[in-house]
Amino acid sequence: MILAFAFLAGMTLVSALGVVLSRNVVHSALFMSGSFLGIAGFFVMLNAPALAAFQVLIYVGAVTVVILFGIMFTQRPQVRRYRTIIQRQHWPGFFVAVGIGAFLAYIVAIADWTGTGPGNGPRGVDALGNILLGVNGAPPIFGLLFEVASVLLLVAIVAAIVVSRRKTGEGVDRGVEE
Amino acid sequence: MPPQAQQLLDALNQTIPLEGYLIVGAIMFAIGAYGALVRRNAVVVFMCIELMINAVNLSLVAFSDYLPDAGGAGAGYAVLVIAVAAAEVAVGLAVVLAVYRSRKTVNVDEVNLMKW
Repeated sequence: MILAFAFLAGMTLVSALGVVLSRNVVHSALFMSGSFLGIAGFFVMLNAPALAAFQVLIYVGAVTVVILFGIMFTQRPQVRRYRTIIQRQHWPGFFVAVGIGAFLAYIVAIADWTGTGPGNGPRGVDALGNILLGVNGAPPIFGLLFEVASVLLLVAIVAAIVVSRRKTGEGVDRGVEE
Repeated sequence: MPPQAQQLLDALNQTIPLEGYLIVGAIMFAIGAYGALVRRNAVVVFMCIELMINAVNLSLVAFSDYLPDAGGAGAGYAVLVIAVAAAEVAVGLAVVLAVYRSRKTVNVDEVNLMKW
């Protein structure tokens, strides 16, 4: 357990640092997928294999590909120096981030975690589905949240198309007969 | 098997306490916050926001597995968070594409039309 935990923690945190510090944007995206894979491994360790499958499918598959498309559409060849990728106010940002991390670590350190142990989560897909729909003893608010999430996804699809679509008469669509 | 080796195996096989997962989540959240604050490229800022969302997801699933009275609700919240994050990245990249089309840059320092 400890070996797997150390390996996954190292993979996740080193990849997360790679996202922030790498000078090439494509490398950042690939580091990000490595970090997501580490999180999927943590989900397997935490008795949530269905969530690990969701994580691999949605994050490592879909989100990384969408972000790579975004990079493909928006990046030009650029000078790769830290002065050009990091803002001028990077020391205040650094201190804010260290403050957030120290605050969270302090909260974790002072809380009383006696009585907690692994194995209480929904192991199977059926238990997870009961929780997600708010039936069979799960909090019934989850049924409402499920519906709200589905409406949100529909709105997001329509909004993404409307926002990013090229207006008529603007630019040239190559390969399309006007 | 010598007793030292048995002790080593026992030490390697003991369960991870809840604090381990929470601390990894806290460090990952701090790294994501640092990147979102200091990077100039809007796409990289999105990646750092995804990192923060994943850190929170890790904490939620850890709570769902370790707290005896939670009934596993954290896993349900984690699924909802994944759905919201997917919607966020789709709309956010559409906004970045629209900004790039009108301003020819994705540098968040140069997109200052609404800056007072």
